[in-house]
Amino acid sequence: MGLFDSLRSALGFGAEADATRAADPEDLFGMSTAYLTMEADLEFAPVAAAALCFSSVDSTDFAGAVDEVEEILRAGEEDTGTAFRRHEDDHGYHWVVLEDDDPEDLVTSIHFAADTFVERGYGSRILAAVFGFEHVREDRRAYWIYSFRRGAYYPFAPTGRHDRDTRLEFKLQSVLDGELDVEDDEGYWYPLWPDRPDGHPWE
Amino acid sequence: MEWNPDWGLRGRMVLTMFLLVVLYVVFIAALSQYMGLFGVVLIMGLFSLGQFFFSDRLALYSMGATRVDEGEYPTLHATVGRLCQQADLPKPDVAVADTRTPNAFAAGRSRSASTVCVTTGLLDTLDEAELEGVLAHELAHVKNRDVMVMTIASFLSTIAFMIVRWGWLFGGNRNRQGGGGIVVAILVSLVVWIVSFLLIRALSRYREYAADRGGAAITGNPTALASALRSISGRMDRVPQEDLREQSEMNAFFVIPIRSGFVGRVFSTHPPTEKRVERLREMAAEMERR
Repeated sequence: MGLFDSLRSALGFGAEADATRAADPEDLFGMSTAYLTMEADLEFAPVAAAALCFSSVDSTDFAGAVDEVEEILRAGEEDTGTAFRRHEDDHGYHWVVLEDDDPEDLVTSIHFAADTFVERGYGSRILAAVFGFEHVREDRRAYWIYSFRRGAYYPFAPTGRHDRDTRLEFKLQSVLDGELDVEDDEGYWYPLWPDRPDGHPWE
Repeated sequence: MEWNPDWGLRGRMVLTMFLLVVLYVVFIAALSQYMGLFGVVLIMGLFSLGQFFFSDRLALYSMGATRVDEGEYPTLHATVGRLCQQADLPKPDVAVADTRTPNAFAAGRSRSASTVCVTTGLLDTLDEAELEGVLAHELAHVKNRDVMVMTIASFLSTIAFMIVRWGWLFGGNRNRQGGGGIVVAILVSLVVWIVSFLLIRALSRYREYAADRGGAAITGNPTALASALRSISGRMDRVPQEDLREQSEMNAFFVIPIRSGFVGRVFSTHPPTEKRVERLREMAAEMERR
């Protein structure tokens, strides 16, 4: 934490500044190779879906920005065959859910959507991108969550409604660290619980 | 998304802090003329440190609040988690106090060791968006390090207060050489205490406005916090308050302070609800204009 940061919070404006800081999609692309390692070293295959979670703003302009994101993804649907749908979860957060067998297309589409939010000045509203994985033999799921606030990935392995398999998460971290930019402060590994016990966080 | 910074608010905050520092420098200079200051400062330093490190437990204890885990309040935890994600803050502990009075506060000395507490009354009174607004306001307090800022700001003020009180009790009886010096020290301390009291109250009010702005920036929905403030303060007048003990230090971090009888505007730690609501409305309007 820098001096400027401390000063800002001492003067009482840290919260406002950080909550409106634009998204940091810099290291998002790490996922486009990490899925290979997930499969080869850990036997976790991609679930052919990924999602972008964002919180809304109570304004007309923001609704317009969301429409623009939808248009871009709809255009992409024709190009790459990446299916997309919108979803609002029980907590009132919004999701853009993308489905494609090619994980690289998923990363690209997520990046497009995020970029559009950033261009419209709403980069700060994107919470996370979530990439799902499933164990090839056992009934286990794991997610890599990209935090746009932190500009880093963290693992999330939910078991049931509010339990997480921390051992698996640390294993994922140790194997993928270096390939992905992994958040090293576990205080920032926020869960994104699925609404249903057997569902994905975006369902 | 960015709002125009409130330069008036920033200016007043800086000015208030500056005046406090000037006041304290003068105070230390004056005091060291008249008495051995070292012992007092040491004892009070320890006292403040203790307060700094245990204030969260104290606050929770006096509210009868207990920390709750994910299983007991899954939705509350999920909401806090996502707001923290937006605010770029590690997730604090969550506590619930079983009281009908709707209120919330944040306690704890640092961003990584803090607790957000809500009352069951708050959970019953507010809808989801309003509750988010209040929680975001509290998280903004954590992010802005308000506990630390207010502890530091109050530190010498507490010393001045102690000198006034102890001096009154013990200083007058002693008929030694330094008698005159002690009287002057007490008078200086009295002035310092009164002025710093007013400045700290002003600072506290500015930090409420700042936390409102921060909270609105986190949720992206200033009107939800505004309507929460209105419905809380409306209910505060009707709900009986005998249950709530006077906790002036802690009051500074309640979303709506507990009022005991009438408190003048200068003495209150929080700005009036109407003014806060008005400022939040301005933010909402600014958002709609762009």
